[in-house]
Amino acid sequence: MTSPTALRPTGSPLRRLPALVAYVPRACLPARRLAVLALPCATILASGLLSLALDDTADAAFTDVAALGIFGLAMPLGTLVIGDAVLGAEVRSGTLGFTWLTPVRFWELALARWLGGWLIALLTLVPCAAVAAVLAGASSLVGPVVVATAAGAAAHIALFVLIGAITRRAAVWSLAIVFVIERLLGAVLSGIAQLSPTWQGQATFTGLGDVAGAPTRSGIPEGWDAVVRLGLITIVCLALATVGLRRLQLTGARD
Amino acid sequence: MTTTEGLDPAFVDDATVVVDDVSVWFGQKVALSELSCSFGPGVTGLLGPNGAGKTTLMRAMCGLIPPRRGHVTVLGHDPRGHRDVQARVALVPEEDAVPEALTARQLVRYQATLNGVTDRDAVERSLAEVSLTDVADRRLGGFSKGMRQRAKVAAALVTDPEVLVLDEPLNGADPVQRVALIELFQALGAAGRTVVVSSHVLHEVERLAARVIVVVHGRLAAAGSHRAIRDAMADRPRRVLLRSDDDRRLATGLLGLDQVVAVELADAGVTISTGNAGELALALPGLSRQLDVRLREVRALDASLDSVFADLTSR
Repeated sequence: MTSPTALRPTGSPLRRLPALVAYVPRACLPARRLAVLALPCATILASGLLSLALDDTADAAFTDVAALGIFGLAMPLGTLVIGDAVLGAEVRSGTLGFTWLTPVRFWELALARWLGGWLIALLTLVPCAAVAAVLAGASSLVGPVVVATAAGAAAHIALFVLIGAITRRAAVWSLAIVFVIERLLGAVLSGIAQLSPTWQGQATFTGLGDVAGAPTRSGIPEGWDAVVRLGLITIVCLALATVGLRRLQLTGARD
Repeated sequence: MTTTEGLDPAFVDDATVVVDDVSVWFGQKVALSELSCSFGPGVTGLLGPNGAGKTTLMRAMCGLIPPRRGHVTVLGHDPRGHRDVQARVALVPEEDAVPEALTARQLVRYQATLNGVTDRDAVERSLAEVSLTDVADRRLGGFSKGMRQRAKVAAALVTDPEVLVLDEPLNGADPVQRVALIELFQALGAAGRTVVVSSHVLHEVERLAARVIVVVHGRLAAAGSHRAIRDAMADRPRRVLLRSDDDRRLATGLLGLDQVVAVELADAGVTISTGNAGELALALPGLSRQLDVRLREVRALDASLDSVFADLTSR
């Protein structure tokens, strides 16, 4: 048995983090995936236009449509496209090895992939949500919809990073969690809604918007309290993703 | 590299990578079974048929796959538990997957940054070593398979690794590049790096590696030089081609030798199978004189690694 060899220093996380984050938009989102991301963005914009057709005040109409169209459908799908790309797709294709086989700590990897994905969401989904509010004539709701979309996207992408770190079928599991667990079970069980980025994002928007007659969900925090809840969900998911990356088996794309 | 004298040739004295009783399985499929060997400075070839467990062994050596049983140590450390070891190890995977949107230069620079490489010229030097400088700003998605392999080799070399693990690195490379890569790997081995190369192109491994580890069905089948492995298999029949000025008379005479198992007469000469090549070599001159036949050529047909490999895998 050889005796352990002294290992050279490998640089600080602060030096590596920019490269790790920059890798995400450069390498993880090819043109095809960006084209797919255009669909939820278009859905968000369409939500703004659709609310014009409702016979209600602009704020109330946009709140109704956004609750379902943006937070119930477009944001989960958009963040799924991004969140799966930043880790799950790399595990499946076999390219994660280029990052895994470096001295990068697992927490750095989880944080960088989430941060890179969230920045993409901030540049795509969030502006679309703001424009949708303007298109709907509900300019007073631009702030709430931006905060809710940004916070909801942060938690959703962290959830999808976690799923990518613990299973090879990340896209399938992510879809199942969004539509079966969050939408279906979360609709009837407050316990699940309290941990659901979909419902918490919606509660953030309705709470901050404070529009009379807005759809509210009892039993879960609203407004800034929901933002805090989304922050906690993000942190817990990233911590679990770090553990998942530590246990990950990179058997290659063919296996 | 110094093979442990008088001991198991699967081990070397100056080991940098030690594989100790390693088993890996995926569900019901056993990929590696109680495999023990070690690797040291110099080039070692890793051989085995498809599904033998070569790639799993290489991935376990780098820490990508944890052994279910046993241990792997690289430079004395667990490659999964000690992240800083990864700066001293580099893997060139066989699979074609690369971040297609990146350019070759971006990939190599990414590796340099993550591994804490401070030498500013290292990126360009690595690209030059695999002759990719001219196309370094092209996206990897537009590269041929051979160019992708070379880009992965450049990304591995930029960290100046002490242990370089190459899974089928010559796949897709044109003949000129094959020669260049073989010379590069040999130079790295000669410089004291531990270079482990797997390949299905056996004659290239023969040229490339002084030492060979053969894995069959997830187990260690043989270790040593390819000639040593062949000699260890003396109980296996060998095929020898004989050419003379009268092949027909020679073939008739050969049938009377105890060492000869089978004789085949063809235009190219007489091909015989023998269970004892050493005794046959001693008997041939006498037989030649007795038959008054002049021997023009005596050549072993299966001294290449291909035949050793075929014998081992048929066991």
